[in-house]
Amino acid sequence: MLGALSTLQLLADAGSQDELLKPLTILFLCLAGGIGTFLLLPGRKTSPKMGGVVLAVTLLSLAMILFRLTAGRASSEVGPYFWIFSAIALVGAARVITHPRPVYSALYFVLTVFASAGLFILMYAEFMAAALVLIYAGAILITYVFVIMLAASAQTVGDRSPLAGLAECDTVSREPFMACCVGFALMGVLLFVIFDKADQMPPLAAAPAPSASTSESEAAHGSTQSIGIYLFDNQIVNLELSGLILTVSMVGAIVIARRRVVGIDQRFEPSSEMISATATPVNDDPRSIPVYGTTDPSQKAYPEN
Amino acid sequence: MFAIGVIGFVTRRNMIVIFLCTELMFQGVAINLIAFSRFTGNLAGQAFVIFVLVIAASEASLALGLVILLFRQKNTLDADAWRDLKW
Repeated sequence: MLGALSTLQLLADAGSQDELLKPLTILFLCLAGGIGTFLLLPGRKTSPKMGGVVLAVTLLSLAMILFRLTAGRASSEVGPYFWIFSAIALVGAARVITHPRPVYSALYFVLTVFASAGLFILMYAEFMAAALVLIYAGAILITYVFVIMLAASAQTVGDRSPLAGLAECDTVSREPFMACCVGFALMGVLLFVIFDKADQMPPLAAAPAPSASTSESEAAHGSTQSIGIYLFDNQIVNLELSGLILTVSMVGAIVIARRRVVGIDQRFEPSSEMISATATPVNDDPRSIPVYGTTDPSQKAYPEN
Repeated sequence: MFAIGVIGFVTRRNMIVIFLCTELMFQGVAINLIAFSRFTGNLAGQAFVIFVLVIAASEASLALGLVILLFRQKNTLDADAWRDLKW
C-alpha cells in the first residue's frame, strides 16, 4: 500500500501516465507476496525462511520498479527517507502478523508505529506524528503488553526449542491459504485501481497550488496551530463527541474488567443419571423443590421471600 | 499494510494478536488520510486522523477489557475456544 501510495504521489506530481505498471506485473507481484506471506504464517509444515526470502524478493522487485518509475522525475516529496520508512513499516507489519509470540508482535507493531510517524513527519504532519507516537506507542501498546503478560500461559523452563511454551493457538494459524488469497486479491485490485485511475483524478493533479498556500499559512502559524484552529472551527461537534466516546469507553472498560465471572468449567453439569431421573417432589408439599441427595426437608423448602 | 492487517485478522487465532491487526489497519488508513490531506492541501485528513486515534484508543481499551474477561472464563486466548458462539 505504501508503494502504491508513493506511485500515486508521483503520478499526481508529474501529471503524466507513461510507463505505468502492467497489470500482469501487479498480478505477479501480488501472487508472490501472497505465497511469501502464506509461507511466513505460523503453521505446521511451512518453512518460514523460504517465505521470508520470497517476500523480501517481492518487496525488492516492487521497490525496483517504483525506483525506475521515479527515475527522471524531480520530486521533492520522495526522498531516501520515504523508502526507508516504508520498508521498515512494511517489514514490521509483516512480522506483526507472522510472529508466533504475541509480545514480539506487539514490539514489531511499535516499530511499525515509529516508521509511520516518520512518514507523517515527511508529509509535514508533525503534530500527528507526535500524537501517534504518544498514543499508540505510549498508551495503547503498553496496555497490550500488559494484557499479554497478564494472560500469558506459564512457560516451560529449560526447553530451548523456538516454539517452546507456546499455546497451540499461537503456533498454528487458521486458514492461512484462503486468508492470503483474499488479502492479496484485495491488494492487487487496489493497486490496479490506483495505478489505472491515478491520472483521472483532477483534484489530485491540481494539488500543488493549494498546498503551497497552506504551507504559507503553516509557516505563519505552525501546523499544530492550524490543525487546532481547523478542529475548533469546523469539527467542533465531532471533537466533543470524541471526548464523550473516550469517557464512555473508559467507564465501560472499567466495568467490563471488574466483573467477577464464574468459570464455565466449574459450573454445575448434570450427569446422565441425573437427567434420566424424574423430577418429582419427594414429599407431599407441592411447593417443595426436587433436590437430590438429601432428605432434609429444609433444603427442599421453597424460599418464602 | 491494510491488506496485511486483514490477513492477520482472519488468520491469527490469538485474540490479542487479532486486535493488534485491527490497529495495523488503522495505521494504513491513517497514512492514507495524511497523504491525501497533504496532496489536496486541506486539513480535514489530519483532523480525521485525530478521530481515528480517538476511536482506536477507546476500541483498544474496551477490547482489552473484553479479552481479560474472556480469558478469565476459558483460561485460554484461543479464539476457537468460543466456537460455540457461532450457532
